[in-house]
Amino acid sequence: MKDIRFDNVTKSFPTRSGTPFVAIRDVSLAVAEREFVAVVGPSGSGKTTLMRMAAGLDHPSEGSVRVGGREVTAPGPDRAVVFQQFALFPWKTVRENIAFGLRCKGVPRARQDEIVAHYLKLMSMEGTEDRFPHQLSGGMQQRVAIARSYAIEPDVLLMDEPFGALDAQTRTVMQEELVRLTRKEPRTVLFITHAVDEAVYLADRVVVLARDPGRLREIIDIRPTREAEDWDSRPIDQVMDLASFTHLRTQVWRLLRDQIRPDD
Amino acid sequence: MHGLPQAEPTNATIRPGAAARRSPGWRISRRVRIGLASLIGTFALWWLLTDITGVIGPHRFPAPAEFWAAFVQIAIDGYAGGTLITQAWYSTRLVIMGFLVAIATGVPLGLLMGVSHRAEALLNPAFLLVRPIPPLAWIPLAIVWLGLGDAAKILVIWFAAFVPSVINTWTGVRGVDRTLIAAARVHGAGELRLLWEVIIPGSLPMMFTGLRLSLQASWTTLVAAELVGAFFGLGRVLDAAYRDINPPMIAVAMLAVGVLGALTTRLVAVAERRLIPWRS
Ligand SMILES: Nc1ncnc2c1ncn2[C@@H]1O[C@H](COP(=O)(O)OP(=O)(O)OP(=O)(O)O)[C@@H](O)[C@H]1O
Ligand SMILES: [Mg+2]
Repeated sequence: MKDIRFDNVTKSFPTRSGTPFVAIRDVSLAVAEREFVAVVGPSGSGKTTLMRMAAGLDHPSEGSVRVGGREVTAPGPDRAVVFQQFALFPWKTVRENIAFGLRCKGVPRARQDEIVAHYLKLMSMEGTEDRFPHQLSGGMQQRVAIARSYAIEPDVLLMDEPFGALDAQTRTVMQEELVRLTRKEPRTVLFITHAVDEAVYLADRVVVLARDPGRLREIIDIRPTREAEDWDSRPIDQVMDLASFTHLRTQVWRLLRDQIRPDD
Repeated sequence: MHGLPQAEPTNATIRPGAAARRSPGWRISRRVRIGLASLIGTFALWWLLTDITGVIGPHRFPAPAEFWAAFVQIAIDGYAGGTLITQAWYSTRLVIMGFLVAIATGVPLGLLMGVSHRAEALLNPAFLLVRPIPPLAWIPLAIVWLGLGDAAKILVIWFAAFVPSVINTWTGVRGVDRTLIAAARVHGAGELRLLWEVIIPGSLPMMFTGLRLSLQASWTTLVAAELVGAFFGLGRVLDAAYRDINPPMIAVAMLAVGVLGALTTRLVAVAERRLIPWRS
């Protein structure tokens, strides 16, 4: 397993006017091995940008991003990404999409089929393997994207609002499933979301970002409470009714609300 | 349980293609009907303007009967050195050869320019200079170099059809969704797999736009080149009929070019549908 370290990371983008636009300023954050960190923040606070740098799709303007102690220079299959816009290959069927990373790794065909079947079942999508993405609902597309990333069993999972397009019911199922999966086979996870509930339920720690420019606002430790009250062995709706849960959720929510200005 | 309607499993109710298979069939029959109506209407109008009212005189445009006579003449006895079939085949063969040479060179070059900024920087200036030259302007040079035979025709078609293939393939590659490229990379794809499984399929729709334009350019240029100088072909028939002041034969040759152009375009469309099955 590998950890992720952002050290004094600043990311600016060039603009037409010449003065660079600062998307992220001086963020330092360490995600330990097998730790699940959720990032919440208002739109435009640089969540996606942060994730792209960990993936090697963008590079910090200042500071460094390291995964497993090594400076990130390019994308690699040790860090699978679930994109905000699914990014399924439109010309590949569900089966081919899920198996894509496995083929890249040179996994034998028979084993690929097993893994694909396993995830189709897990995502309750049996029978859709020969469909193209455009023949699926948004929620189904998102599940395929998640399966494609899980399938390669990466050391680090980078997920950008992976449940954003799911209906409430599927979303709950997927959240429970993610808890089950990541507790059974813990991975280093950087999980981006808009939903405070989701962040508190899933994560060991919740990172709250502020915006203009995007920066670190607060980190809230969830894990001690979760372990003390044994959230993982309870169903999600029960957890969300616990006083300890609502307390943490309110705490995160306040930090977010404070930055919503009148012009929003 | 009885009495309750059994819900079918979703994958059986929305099996892909089941719905798609029905609607085009219905659409084609409707299209065929409209197409037939349009053809009959055109024919009636033609007949009306020539034979019935005489608005268009026989020296300008043939009446249906004259057209038919010219068609029979070239189909059976031949005209300008060959029957309709030989002349048409002669032109079609050159178009196909020129077109294939053009796309076999143009598509890879477009891919290269789309993928490599260095190749683009190197080739684009030359391209910008050559592109505005109308393809037909190459005909004299081609004839000077290679004479009136097949080689000159293929060269001219190549000049004409090459540019649309390159430009559209190149644009297609540039237009491939960046997130898909990122998705391929983060799941471990190397350069070759990226090209073959993401960039090429992603640019296929634009590539086919290019192929259609290339094919059209191939016919235009070939007919023009044959008009300028050729031993056989539909352009040669047009030229001979013009010299003989034979409007019915001109019309027959024009229609033949139209029909062949439509048929070859259809072939490209069929290939497109086969190669891009994921487009709804
Ligand atoms: N390639 C780019 N060029 C210029 N500006 C960019 C680029 N990518 C992101 N930005 C800017 O950086 C800021 C942060 O963007 P980012 O996509 O990381 O936000 P986010 O927190 O993921 O927002 P959302 O919740 O809406 O997805 C935004 O203001 C955005 O406009
Ligand atoms: Mg985002």
